Parts: sequence; C-alpha cells; structure tokens
Amino acid sequence: MRPVFVAGAAVHPFGKHPDLPAAELGYRAVQDLIARTGVAPEQVDTGFGGSTYGGSLLAQRVLQRVGVSGQPVFTVENACASGASAVHLGWQAIAAGTADCVIAFGTENLSAFGGGTLPLTTADLEIDQGMVMPAAYAMRAQRYLHDFGATVDDLTRVSVKNRRNGAANPRAHFQREVSPDDVEQSRPIADPLRLLHCCPNSDGAAAVLLCSEDFAKDLPTARVRMRASVVRSGRFHTSFRDMTWPDITERTAQAAYDVAGIGPADLDLVELHDAFSVAELLHAEALGIADRGQAFKAVAAGDFDRDGRVAVSPSGGLLSRGHPVGATGVTQICEAYWQLTGEAAELQVPGAEVALTHVTGGGIFGVDNGACAVHILTTT
Amino acid sequence: MTTPAIPDARVIGGEWIHRDGDHATLTITKCHNCGSTWFPPRDVCSSCASADTEETTTADHGIAYASTVVRIGPAAFRPPYVLAYVDISDVRVLAHVDALEALPPGTPVTLRVGPIGADENGEFSSYLVAETAGGAR
Repeated sequence: MRPVFVAGAAVHPFGKHPDLPAAELGYRAVQDLIARTGVAPEQVDTGFGGSTYGGSLLAQRVLQRVGVSGQPVFTVENACASGASAVHLGWQAIAAGTADCVIAFGTENLSAFGGGTLPLTTADLEIDQGMVMPAAYAMRAQRYLHDFGATVDDLTRVSVKNRRNGAANPRAHFQREVSPDDVEQSRPIADPLRLLHCCPNSDGAAAVLLCSEDFAKDLPTARVRMRASVVRSGRFHTSFRDMTWPDITERTAQAAYDVAGIGPADLDLVELHDAFSVAELLHAEALGIADRGQAFKAVAAGDFDRDGRVAVSPSGGLLSRGHPVGATGVTQICEAYWQLTGEAAELQVPGAEVALTHVTGGGIFGVDNGACAVHILTTT
Repeated sequence: MTTPAIPDARVIGGEWIHRDGDHATLTITKCHNCGSTWFPPRDVCSSCASADTEETTTADHGIAYASTVVRIGPAAFRPPYVLAYVDISDVRVLAHVDALEALPPGTPVTLRVGPIGADENGEFSSYLVAETAGGAR
C-alpha cells in the first residue's frame, strides 16, 4: 500500500443553518478546500461525499459545482460514520494507487427535522417500541455508573471539559463554557442524561484533500500522514451484551493500531465520538487510553484536558461542535490536521504529533453501533 | 395486576407474543449449529447462516440489565415513559416498564401484555415488564 496524506482541510462552521441545505453546506466546505489547496478540478481523480439525510447523488450535487464532474463520484451513507467512511474510501483509492488526489467530504442539515431526538429511519422492533438514541446512551450510562461506582457528576465533568475546549473553537456550534450547575439544571432528556450531557443536532460540512506523497509535494499546504483508516460494522446478535464495553470501537481501534504500528500510549490527542457525555468514558476505555472502568477518574484528574496526558476532544467534541451526522467524522480529521500542522490556534495541543479520530454510531437493534471509523494521523 | 383486555388491539410484535394468563412469553429462535439465540425469531441463524434452527419460548420473567426514563421522545409513547433492556432466556429484549422510575440493574421483572402508546387510531400494545412482586422467583 502507498502512504496516504492529508494535504488540506476546510470546515463550514457548525450551527443552525436552516436556510442552507446539505448540498449547499457541502459546496461551501469543498469550495473553501479548493481555494486553500489550489487544486484544479481536473486533478481530482475521484470524490466521496458522506451524508445520512442529504439525499440521492449528494456528492455529485456538491462536487459538480466546483468542476469535479465526469470523474467517479460516490455518496456514502453509514449513519454517524458516513463522512469518515467517505474518507476511508478515499484512503483506499490513494493507498491502492488508483488515485493520486481525492476530495472527501461530509455534510448534513438537521434543522430540516425540527427539534427533539433524531429521526431513526431504519424501522425495527426497538424503534417501534419507542427507542431513541438518548435512551440507548442513558441505559449505557446507568449501567456504567452502576458497574464502576461513577456518578452523574462524572458525566457532567465530561460536558464541562468539552464545552470549555469548544469555547475557543470558531467552528463549533456552542462556543460558550458551561458550569457543573448549568449541566445539572438543564432539562432532563433520558435519566440520568440531561440536555447538556447530549450533543446538539447541528448543520455543517467539512472536507479534506487526500493525496499521494508526490501529489502533496506540489501543493502549498502542509501535509500530515494518514497512518491508518479503518471502518468496522457492528457485530449483530440479540443475546446478552455488556453495554459498558463498545466492542465495535475496540475492534476498529485495534485494527488501526495494528496498521499504524502505533499504540494508545503514543497518542497526543483523540477526537472522540462524544455524542453523549457517557460516550467519552465508554470509548476512551475501548480505545485503550484509560483502563476499564477508570475513564471517569482520568477525566476528574485532568488526564484528558488539552494539556493533560492525552487531550480528548480538544476541539470541543460533539458536545460543543454539534453533530451534523455525516459531517462529524470529516471535521474530526480536519481538527486533527490543524493540530498536527500547528494551525489549531487557541485549540493547539502543545507538541501534537500523533492524533486519533473516532466516530461511531447508528441506532439499529442487535448491534452496539452500526458503523465505526478510526483514523490515525501523524506529522511525519 | 391483570393484563388489560384490548379489543381490536394492535400489538407490536404480536406474532411473537404468547399470553399465559396474566403473563406473557416470547417466541425465540435457537440455532442447533452454533447455539445462538434470537429475538425476533428467524429462519436462518444470523451468526452462522445455518437453517438448522428451532423455535422455542422464553420464560415469563427475566432480569433488567439497564433502564431509563425517556423524557423527550416520540409523542406516540406519551413521554415520560420507562424503557429497560431485559435479559430473559438467553435473549435481551427492549421493553416498556410499568413503573414511574428507571429500574435498578438486576431488578427481577415479569413479562405481560399491555398498552405502550397511542396514535390517531387509538392505543397500541406490546409485551412490557413490571418488577416481579415479591422479588425473584
């Protein structure tokens, strides 16, 4: 396999953009990417666009506006991992040598659905019974607190940390710190989770340029190496399951560590899928950056702070940035790119050289998540 | 508590529910090839793809693995409503709980049929659970 590089990143700020459909948001991010990298449309060998609710031929509707038409172009749907899955397919094309330059993006407009919990489009028995994503994470939280002696205060610490990180991120949906009191006083959603334990439904888009080493040399932008790009699906069964151990994250991360020859102790920062505050605890343990049942102590000790042992979601995570479903995995890679190129401004993790991004999701019965993607990026 | 009679009820998962007096049991699939158990039942095992499967029936009681009170959710379920994952005869099923608060993990529960929501056509029902009177049997 050939080495794969990220040589450009662009994000349309996340937030409420009810007047900007997914294709428009995606276009703005891709246009920004092209302006930054100076890539000509005919240099783009193939394109992948991730979105869950953006509709048919979304990738064409975005890329044709910047002159990328005629080339092979694909719209990728993998729930919360849609955008990261688009990046993965681009990684495959570069690594295999079938492409030298790929645009991968993710975009979503959730304002179209109004407020409340996200619509789960895959009708199954649990959804027919009233399952919603916050309820699934609430039950994981109840069990985690029960099994490991953590408290709701430990969930709140995750929200407070990530909102503090996001306060300095101009691309984040929420750019304001919250206090523990704010979290505890926020509206109850699904016990024990309150509103500020949950990420907001947001609109936004993000795009990256993936390329070969030779192609990167001719670009004006800095490049980072994509050491691993791994996607896994959930293991389907309907028997007993330990809901405090997201095995899909463990399997995906382990495969990525194996490909990269990098372990959890080497990571300077992780952009983690904290759709709900408890998710940071569950996934941090499955990623191997905290021992089993100990992640809540790591958060309390400041291990996951920007200047801690390993910065977890220094961009603010989903709790601050928001979660335009298909865009999340790509924006994590953009944030990691800026960290490794030293362009993260106030978000900068000092001396960041190794970054991991993790996105997982999809609420269907019989699996802990439908799809998970892990990327590992390094400065060299 | 008795299972309410619901004339012309629409029962979610009704083809897999057996009423047993006030209690209920569920049809599940057991795979003879790999031993996996499945709910809802299926013709082909989703672990090993074997068709050497058998339909069997769960007990009428199980243990709550985890539970929550859903306070923001689809209007048809009339939030707040309580959900739980229940371990019963080697399968885990999501069920509504006849309770006002979330069940602590490990709570023994009994299965029955009852209303879980209502839409423009009236109430609909399914299997649901309640804490077993007198604790585990």
